Amino acid sequence: MTPNRLTCEETFRRLNDYLDRALSPEEKRLVEEHLETCAGCAREFRFEMSLLDNLRAKLSRIDIPEDMLARITRRLEEARRECE
Amino acid sequence: MVDVWLPRSAAGGSIMDGAVQVETAATYGAAASAGSGVTPDSMSFEQLLTPLLSPAFGIAMSLVGNAADAEDAVQDAALRALRGFDSFQPGTNFKAWFYKILTNCCFGRHRQEKRRPAAVDLDDVPDLYLYARTAASGLHTVSSDPAALLMEKMSLEQVRAAIDALPAEYRVVATMFFLDDLTYEEIADMLGIPVGTVRSRLHRGRRMLQKALWLIAEEAGIVQELSRGSA
Ligand SMILES: [Zn+2]
Repeated sequence: MTPNRLTCEETFRRLNDYLDRALSPEEKRLVEEHLETCAGCAREFRFEMSLLDNLRAKLSRIDIPEDMLARITRRLEEARRECE
Repeated sequence: MVDVWLPRSAAGGSIMDGAVQVETAATYGAAASAGSGVTPDSMSFEQLLTPLLSPAFGIAMSLVGNAADAEDAVQDAALRALRGFDSFQPGTNFKAWFYKILTNCCFGRHRQEKRRPAAVDLDDVPDLYLYARTAASGLHTVSSDPAALLMEKMSLEQVRAAIDALPAEYRVVATMFFLDDLTYEEIADMLGIPVGTVRSRLHRGRRMLQKALWLIAEEAGIVQELSRGSA
C-alpha cells in the first residue's frame, strides 16, 4: 500500500466532507481513486449521495404563504418611497 | 396560511391550502451562488433578493416555527437589507449577507415549540444507519438505488416530520444545508458559531435524520411494503 492511497477506513472518514464538497481537490481525487477500485465503499458512498440528492430535491419545493412575495415586494416599494 | 413544517394531522386542515409551491434550488444557483458565491456587482437589489425569498422562508420556518412569524422575519430582513444595501460590498456574497440579516431577525422572535410525537431517541445513531437498515430489510436486492426507492415512497410531509424531530440546533443547520447549498463557513457566519461546530452538527444531524426517516417509514408501513418486493 503506497502512502498516497487511502484504505477503506481512511476513505470512510472522508465521506461526510466528500458529500459536502468540503475536500481539497487532492483529497477528493484520493477518495475517488479508492471508490473506483473498491465496490464496497462505492456502494456506501452511492447510497449516501443518492439519499442527500433525493432529500434535497424533495425539500427544495417550499410551500410559501400565498401572496408572500407580493406583500414583501409592496413593502419594499413603500419603503423606497419613504426614503425619497 | 399554512404551517408547512407541522405533520399533516397537527397543522389543522389541508397542508396545501393557500400555499404556493416554488422551486428554489435551481433559480438562484446560476445567477449568483454558483462556484465562488461572489455576486456580480451589476445586479440590482431586487434581482439579488427575489430568488432568495422562498429559501429564506424555509430557513425562517425552521428558526421561528410558524408561518406568520417566518413571513414577518423575512419581510423585516428584506427591509433591513434594503436600508443597509449601501453597506453591502459589491462583489461579495449577497446570499450570505442577506441570510445573516435574516437569522438575526429570526432570533428576535421566540420559537413556538410545538407538540411533538412521542420523543424519538436520536442519540448516538451509528454511521450508515439507513444503509444498514435498508440492506437488512432486503431493499438492496429490490433496487440498485435503495435510497431513491425509499425516498420516492415517502411524502414531503413525512420527510419534513423527520427533520422536525431533530433538536433545534441540528434542525437549523440541516435546513440551511438542504434548502440552499451553503458552505460550512457561510452557515457558521450566519449563526455566529464556529465552523467546526457547524460541521459536526451537520454530520450528526444527518445521522439523526436517517433514523428519524426510517422510524417514520416503518410506522407508515412503507418498509414492509417495499421489502415484500424482495421476497
Ligand atoms: Zn473501500
